[in-house]
Amino acid sequence: MSVTTSSTLDAKGSPMWSSGHGHDVISTKTLGFWLYMLSDAMMFTALFAAYAVLGHAFNAAGGPWVRAVAHAGVAFQETYWLFGSVLAYGLAMMALKKGNRGGVLLGIAAALVIALGFLAVDGREVLDLFRMGALPERSGFLSAFFTLVFYHGLHVVVGIAWMAVMLVQVASVGLTEKVVYRLLNLRLFWHFQAVMWVFMFTFLYLRGAIV
Amino acid sequence: MLDPRGVISVTQDHYLALDVLIMLLIIVPTGIFIVWAMRHYRRDGGRGRHDARWDHSYALEALVWGIPILTVGVLSYYSVKAIYAVNPYHPTIMARATHAKGPLDIDVISTDWQWVFIYPQQGIATVNRLVIPKGVPVHFRLTSATVVNDFYIPQLVGMIDVMPAMRVRQTLLASRTGTYEGYSANFSGAGFSWMNFETQAVSRSAFRAWVARVQGAPTHLSYTAFDQVAQPTINIHGRVAYFSQVQPGLFRHVVAQTAAGKTYPTPMAMTENMTRYLKAQARRDAHNRD
Amino acid sequence: MLVHIDGPWSPLLGRLALSEIPYNNPILVGTFVFAALLAVILVGLVTYLGLWRTIWRDWLTSVDHKKIGIMYILIGLVMLFRGFMDAVMMRAQQAMADGPHSAGYMDSPHGYLTPYHFDQIYTAHGTIMILFAATPLLVGIMNILVPLQIGARDMAYPYLNAVSLWLTAAGAALVMASLFIGDFAHAGWFGIVPVMELPYSPGVGVDYWMWAFQLSSIGTTLGGINLLATIVKMRAPGMTWGRLPIFTWASLSANLISLSTFPVLSVALALLALDRYLGTHFYTAGLGGNLMLYNDLFWIWGHPEVYFVILPAFGMISEIIPTFSEKPLFGYLGMVLASLGIAGVSWGVWLHHFFTMAASPAVNAFFSITTMAVGIPTGVKVFNWAFTMFRGRLRFELPMMWASAALFYLLVGGLTGMMNAFTTNDYMVHNSVFVVAHFHMMLLLIVYAIFGGVNYWFPKVFGFRLEQRFGKIFFWLFTAGTAVVFIPMFTLGFMGMTRRLAYVAFPQWRPLLDIEVVGIVIYLLSAVFLVAQLYVSFRDRAQNRAGLDAWETSRSLEWMTHSPVPFYNFAVTPEVHARDERAWRVEHGVDTVRPERYEDIHMPRNTAIPLWLGALSFGLAFGLVWRMWWLTEVCGLAIFALIVIRSFDRDTDYTIPAADIERMERAIRDVPSGRPVVAGVRGAVPAFRQGV
Ligand code: HEA
Ligand code: HEA
Ligand code: CUA
Ligand SMILES: [Cu+2]
Repeated sequence: MSVTTSSTLDAKGSPMWSSGHGHDVISTKTLGFWLYMLSDAMMFTALFAAYAVLGHAFNAAGGPWVRAVAHAGVAFQETYWLFGSVLAYGLAMMALKKGNRGGVLLGIAAALVIALGFLAVDGREVLDLFRMGALPERSGFLSAFFTLVFYHGLHVVVGIAWMAVMLVQVASVGLTEKVVYRLLNLRLFWHFQAVMWVFMFTFLYLRGAIV
Repeated sequence: MLDPRGVISVTQDHYLALDVLIMLLIIVPTGIFIVWAMRHYRRDGGRGRHDARWDHSYALEALVWGIPILTVGVLSYYSVKAIYAVNPYHPTIMARATHAKGPLDIDVISTDWQWVFIYPQQGIATVNRLVIPKGVPVHFRLTSATVVNDFYIPQLVGMIDVMPAMRVRQTLLASRTGTYEGYSANFSGAGFSWMNFETQAVSRSAFRAWVARVQGAPTHLSYTAFDQVAQPTINIHGRVAYFSQVQPGLFRHVVAQTAAGKTYPTPMAMTENMTRYLKAQARRDAHNRD
Repeated sequence: MLVHIDGPWSPLLGRLALSEIPYNNPILVGTFVFAALLAVILVGLVTYLGLWRTIWRDWLTSVDHKKIGIMYILIGLVMLFRGFMDAVMMRAQQAMADGPHSAGYMDSPHGYLTPYHFDQIYTAHGTIMILFAATPLLVGIMNILVPLQIGARDMAYPYLNAVSLWLTAAGAALVMASLFIGDFAHAGWFGIVPVMELPYSPGVGVDYWMWAFQLSSIGTTLGGINLLATIVKMRAPGMTWGRLPIFTWASLSANLISLSTFPVLSVALALLALDRYLGTHFYTAGLGGNLMLYNDLFWIWGHPEVYFVILPAFGMISEIIPTFSEKPLFGYLGMVLASLGIAGVSWGVWLHHFFTMAASPAVNAFFSITTMAVGIPTGVKVFNWAFTMFRGRLRFELPMMWASAALFYLLVGGLTGMMNAFTTNDYMVHNSVFVVAHFHMMLLLIVYAIFGGVNYWFPKVFGFRLEQRFGKIFFWLFTAGTAVVFIPMFTLGFMGMTRRLAYVAFPQWRPLLDIEVVGIVIYLLSAVFLVAQLYVSFRDRAQNRAGLDAWETSRSLEWMTHSPVPFYNFAVTPEVHARDERAWRVEHGVDTVRPERYEDIHMPRNTAIPLWLGALSFGLAFGLVWRMWWLTEVCGLAIFALIVIRSFDRDTDYTIPAADIERMERAIRDVPSGRPVVAGVRGAVPAFRQGV
């Protein structure tokens, strides 16, 4: 058998070796982040399941139960803050499409500040609950309740830190491929928090109003 | 388990045999076919014809999927039937027998690492010894004062988890007299390997006599006395105890206490330095006997 | 909110005091001396050979998927050895501690291990074998093979890949640390609540277990994301889903499992941590906790995990059997569907691990049926392998021996698994050594597939074949050992012997327990031949040089590049035409066609950050175990800082010019056979190091 070095030796003339084949970096990175978000969604699912199991009056062990700790009113207010922040971030993404660096910076900064507002309201609410004696170690129910609240809060904190880093990167590096896919991933992350908040609102806070 | 002596365990063995038989019907021919193919088609000395392209056949693939689906279908049918037959709460196979005599109620509480058996109808209790009349259905209520155990008497009845702050039921009927080993099957800590209790199935008259004897025992089982029994104890010498009077509602009280957060913490001594603990226990035992 | 724990406590060392070092336990001291000696010898050897620089530049900081895979496999082998030693100790204890009159040594009432020590050993054995032996071995093999099989240069995220590796390493290191500093959990590999709660486990053992598990869980989740993205995005042109090699399909199915279930494990463990550190009531018996929640969360991961490890094993078997049958895999589509089917059903069967929990008959019935349903896709696999051999031309070389023996393990393990799935049987054998024997059949199947796979792909990665004669002796002795240990174990299960017994109360079990010890001796003997095989293979590597295709009849893409594989995998990405591309090219007589021109290649640059992240995670977890809060805080902050710093690093890849590729390709082709070769050798031109 002779050794040949042709690219198209196949009888049908199809190539044996590919040329100029590259992978789209942004779409690869985005897929990975989607997968990561799926795994995060599984964590939320597990926590919601824990909350469902520990959500009965029995699990309050005589301590405060849903009605006493889940205040739909406050949560409604928090919804405004969180969705406001997501909206601001969305505007930053519109600016990104136009390649408007200043707009991106402005939008993210706004999103960051509004998210801080969410954290402030959330934190005050939690502190109030603590002060009235509703502590996570009081009962299984409260353990599950606060764990969900804190887990969501932790995501917001991470989101804020990430936005801060991106502000620096957009300002210093500009809209390079790397910065862009990070901005897109952050968008996904930030929207995901809003979606999770909808679930929190329905299963934690609205339940407080109904039960 | 290989020599069942109770209605439940006999039924379980019956279904076990059926299950294994059905599966062997598939597994054995499969094994034989593989061995045959390995010999027949081996390159050095095999007689099989090599067909380097053959990689699928609709007929065979239908078979490949069909056989397991069919088998699983049959097995599922019997499995469900068996589950209802020996359901610990209402075994259908004992629906008839229940009216014959009894039933006898026994409350079981597992501690670290002993078994407390309360006979509410007779007002007596034992520790680490179960005595039941032959031919009478026994209804157990079980709970644990500490961690999860598993109540198991291989020759009479299968396992059931015994869980703190929760209550489960189990039912059995011993069809022959005899002494059977019972033990915890679920790991529960340092004393687990010694958590055995002897089960005696005796005639009904012998049972009555036994009850009368225990009713004469000097010690009573109040909640305070239970609290003492429930202190972590490795029952290395297989000790047994009897109580003549039992505080009414003790079982429910223990469940409620556990639900309210009562625990019996394992002392470090029993984990990291068990020998010292065992020696101390032996001294205590000797002291109590004097 | 922090739970207060009595006992010696200092702000600097937390709960760690000198008394936590088990210097008074002769077994542990012996182990320590042995390990220390080994370490000294290794360090000495490496220094003597002047290898530090190579180890650091080419291995520890590498982001090359093949090297990462090899390091995973090394971790797995070391831990396999440790798990094996644990098994030896357990068997010895049960053989010695039977009956009330058996003697006691070394502070134990019976046998030579106190119950507390014995309980730690089986917990460590199970944890190590599943999480730190089987999982890393398989992840390592997937890491090496998947990019090669789909014609990619590397994983989708090479840097993340290294992070996963070092997280797993940190977890393994934590388990090892528990040997000499403090102790390990004593609540079984799957953790039993409320035994793991503070009142019943006041020591640090559970904390070690929990954080080691957690680190490996995070590492495996990230690894799963990476492999999935790689398979979806990095396939060579022409590599359609219908042409994907079967091992890659198996990896895809397995990682769908890891992506969706390891997060649940993380939650299960995190809630346990909250209970133990902050005094919450998730799994406590009292105050509104629910201990069954733990069982559900754990086994929602735990069951799929066993399929996560079996699927790649099935994948390897599916690659090996066709090669040595000289014939394509029978029923490719069926195999793919069966893999996905096993992954799919695996989510819906977890309750079979606690049938005895007195759930309603309807619930038990449901899970009994779903569990048995797994027998369908698995059966399809068995039959398809049988029909692959049918009309084949079988060569029983080592990989084929391991792979075909695995089939019989599957039959025995499957039969006994199906017996457990039949709920009323499980009432009798749950928590008995029958179950232990069942899952060892399955897990040894994996070990068999791994040995088969290592023998099969070794020449691809290292450039020479493993020696066969000692290898075959090892195979037969290992098989004999397995039979002698586990056949009596099945019998004992039927006799009602429960698992995890530090002391065996009933003397009628003694004869069978003694036979099991004979099996252990055979195992020990077999290990000698494994070492001999490795030694002789290395000594005679020049004679065993492998070409592109070490077995002549291999079928998939990875056999189209050099052995050992150069660091850029394929000089030019191949165009894929068929399901078994290599076999297709051989059949069409074009397997020797070389690309006519080369192009620049982009490669990721090596980096030490993943290694630091692993080390810091170890510190973080170690601080948590001993409640040295300052250590935890420092490491936590450093991790955060490193992640941010890395995000500012713009110099993460580099380009190799086409001319250099051409030169390296020519050099590799001209390597005189017999020249020592190293894994993933970067051609014979040392000038082209991956950037550091
Ligand atoms: C992959 C998983 C795996 C593997 C391979 C094994 C392998 C073995 N196991 Fe294990 N085992 C478990 C997983 C595994 N086990 C689990 C999960 C448990 C439950 C724990 C619990 O209850 O919580 C358990 C429990 C368990 C018990 C406890 C039973 C009880 O509860 O009473 C026993 C007792 O004998 C046992 C024995 C053995 C033996 C003899 C082997 C033998 O097959 C070992 C054979 C030897 C090898 C596989 C090593 C060969 C390799 C080398 C020598 C390495 C060479 C290294 C280099 C060259 C670097 N196992
Ligand atoms: C790789 C690991 C692995 C694999 C693949 C399996 C596969 C299976 N396992 Fe196993 N299992 C474990 C590892 C594994 N298991 C472990 C580690 C534990 C215990 C953990 C612990 O408690 O510590 C366990 C425990 C366990 C239990 C709980 C026992 C108990 O604790 O009481 C059950 C119960 O249903 C079970 C069932 C099954 C079934 C039905 C399969 C099926 O997938 C088997 C399917 C295969 C076949 C059926 C054979 C081939 C098929 C044919 C030839 C077709 C025709 C046949 C029929 C249709 C019958 N397993
Ligand atoms: Cu399980 Cu109560
Ligand atoms: Cu399972």
